[in-house]
Amino acid sequence: MTDRNWFQIAVLLYGISMIYSVFLWRKGFREDNRVNYFLLLSAFAGHTIALMQRGFSFSRCPVTNLYEATVFIIWTMVAAYLIFGIWSRLRFLGAFLSPVFFCVSVFALMPALDNHHGPNPEFFVPGWQNSLHAAMFALAYAAFGLSAGAGLMYLTQEHDLKFHKARAILSLMPPIQRLEVVTWRLMQTGISLLTGALLISMSYLNKTQGSYWSDDPKVLWSFLVWGIYLGLMIMRWRMEQGGRKFAWGAVAGFAFVLLTFWGTNLLSPIHNP
Amino acid sequence: MSVVVIGLNHHSSQVELRERFAFPEAVIPEALQQMRDAGLANEAVILSTCNRVELYVVTPQAEMESFKALKEFLKTHRQFEGELNEEVYALGEPQSLEHLFKVASGLDSMLLGETEILGQLKKAYDIALQSKQTGGRLNKIFQKAFNVAKYIRTHTNIQRGSVSVGSAAVELAEKIFETLSDRNVMVIGAGDTSEKTARSLMSRGAKSVIVSNRSYDRAEALAKELNGRAVHFDDWASEFANIDIVISSTSAPHYVLDRKKLAPLMALRHNRPLLLIDIAVPRDIEPEVNFMENVYLYNIDDLQAIAEDYLKQRREEIARCEVIIRDKIKELLNSGPPRQQSQDGRFGFGQESST
Repeated sequence: MTDRNWFQIAVLLYGISMIYSVFLWRKGFREDNRVNYFLLLSAFAGHTIALMQRGFSFSRCPVTNLYEATVFIIWTMVAAYLIFGIWSRLRFLGAFLSPVFFCVSVFALMPALDNHHGPNPEFFVPGWQNSLHAAMFALAYAAFGLSAGAGLMYLTQEHDLKFHKARAILSLMPPIQRLEVVTWRLMQTGISLLTGALLISMSYLNKTQGSYWSDDPKVLWSFLVWGIYLGLMIMRWRMEQGGRKFAWGAVAGFAFVLLTFWGTNLLSPIHNP
Repeated sequence: MSVVVIGLNHHSSQVELRERFAFPEAVIPEALQQMRDAGLANEAVILSTCNRVELYVVTPQAEMESFKALKEFLKTHRQFEGELNEEVYALGEPQSLEHLFKVASGLDSMLLGETEILGQLKKAYDIALQSKQTGGRLNKIFQKAFNVAKYIRTHTNIQRGSVSVGSAAVELAEKIFETLSDRNVMVIGAGDTSEKTARSLMSRGAKSVIVSNRSYDRAEALAKELNGRAVHFDDWASEFANIDIVISSTSAPHYVLDRKKLAPLMALRHNRPLLLIDIAVPRDIEPEVNFMENVYLYNIDDLQAIAEDYLKQRREEIARCEVIIRDKIKELLNSGPPRQQSQDGRFGFGQESST
C-alpha cells in the first residue's frame, strides 16, 4: 500500500467519525464518546503510517508540498486531540474537531496538491531551515485550528446559555471562561510558532535570494495571517473585546486560513513551481 | 430460607401513617431481637426513615406465612390497632432483593436518584450488624446492594444534575465561570429562595456574599448567617464592579435592574461574564439585559425548567438502572448456595402485593 492509500483509509475513518459526531451533537454531548475517540485513534494510526512511509521514502520531513503540509497539519491536530482525549471529560472535543479533520483531509486528497517535486528547485536549498520553517508553519496553523475548535465550542455553549437550552448544563462542555482561555492560549501558541516560522523563512530567503523580503504571494499572505491574529489578540488584550467577538475572530481567522491557504500556494512561484 | 421485605413507604402511604410505624433508632436492636425470639427471622435489618419503614428478613417460614406474621409484628410493636391493607407491601425473592437494590440506588426515593438513602441504609445495616442480627445471607446481600448503588452512581446519570432551584443556579454558575472560588455573589432582596441559592453557591466555594435589602436589619441578619456583608439598598450598584453573580428577589413592582442601568456597570466590570438570577415575581431584572454581551439572565421559570430537565433525564435512566440491578441479582443468586424455592405460587418470585 502506498502512503496515499493509508491516508485515504484515515480520511474514511475521519468521515465516519464526523457522521458519528452528528449523533453526539444531537444527544447534547451527554455521553462519554469513547467510540468517537477510538475512530479517531484508528484514523490517526493510518495517518501516522502515511506520514512515516512518505518521510522515509524521501528521507526528509514530509512537509514540502501542499499535500504534505496539509496532512501534517491535520496529523498534529489529531495528535493534540488524542492527548486531551485521554481525560474522559475532554473526549467530547472530537465531535467538534472531526468535521474539520475530515474536510481538510478531503482538500488534501485533491491530486493537484500533491506535487512530488516540492518547492521550486531554483529557490530550494537543502538543509534544516527548509524542513523547520515548513514544520513550524504547519504547527502554527494546527494551533490556530485547535483555537478555532475551542472558539466554536465557546460559541455553542454561549448560545445555549443565552437561550436557556438545557444542553448548556446537561452537556459535558467545560465552562465558557475556560473555553475562552483555551482559545486564547492556543492562539498565543499559534502566533509564537508563526512568528518563529516567519523569522526562519526570512533567514532562508536571505540565504537563497540575498534578501530578507520577497513579494511572493505566499510570503505576503503569511504576514497577513500573522497580522490578523495579532489584531485579534490586541483586540482581546487591550480593548476588552473577549467573549463572543473573540471566539468569532478565532473561527473566522482559521476559516480565512483554510480558504486561502491553497490558493496563495498555487499563486506562489517559490512554493509552487 | 428466603429474604423477604415488608414495609410501607411514600408510594403506599401518607406521612401520618408512616410516622406511626417509624422505629426510633434506640428501639431497633430490641425489635430485631424480638423478631428472632418469636421465630420470625433468622437475620433481620430494620430500615426506618421519613419516607419508609421496611423490615428485611431472612425468614425460616414459607413466604406467605412470614408476610402475615411480620405484618402482625409491625402492628403489635408499633401499637397500631387499625386496619392495614394496600398501605403495606410484601415481597419475596428475588423481588425483595431487587427492591433493596433499588432503594440503595435511590430509584425508589421520593427525590429520584438521591443519595441520602444509601447512608440511611448503611446505618440500618450497621445497627443490625452491631446487634449481631445479621448473618451470612444478609451480610452478602447488603454488601452487594451497596456495591450496586455505587456502580449505578458511577455508570449512569441517575444521580446527575440539580433538581432544585438553588443547585440549578450553582450548575449554571459552574458552566460560566472557571471556578466559583474567586466569585463574589450579591443578594438583592433577602427572601427564602435567594437565601437558599446563595447558600448553595457559598457551599460550592463562592468567595464572598453581599446582601442588600430594603430593610437593612434583615440584610444584616442574612449577611451574618452567610458570613457576608450587608449594604444599604440604595448603594448596591456601587458594589457592582466586583460582583459576578447576582440573585435578585425583591418585592418591587418594577425592574430593579434594566439595560440602561446595567450598561455602565458592565463597563466598570471590564465586561467580565455576569450571571443574573432573577427569582422575583414580578421580575426584578429587565429581560432585555440577556441580549447584552457576557450577561446571562435566568428567571425562576428557567431554573425550574432546568431542574425538570434533570428530573426527566433521571427518569430516562431508570430502565438502564433496572437492567443493571437484574444482572447483579442474577450474579448474586448464581454465586450463592442453592436457594429454597418458594412454596407459594403467588409470592414465589415476590410479586409486589399488599398483604
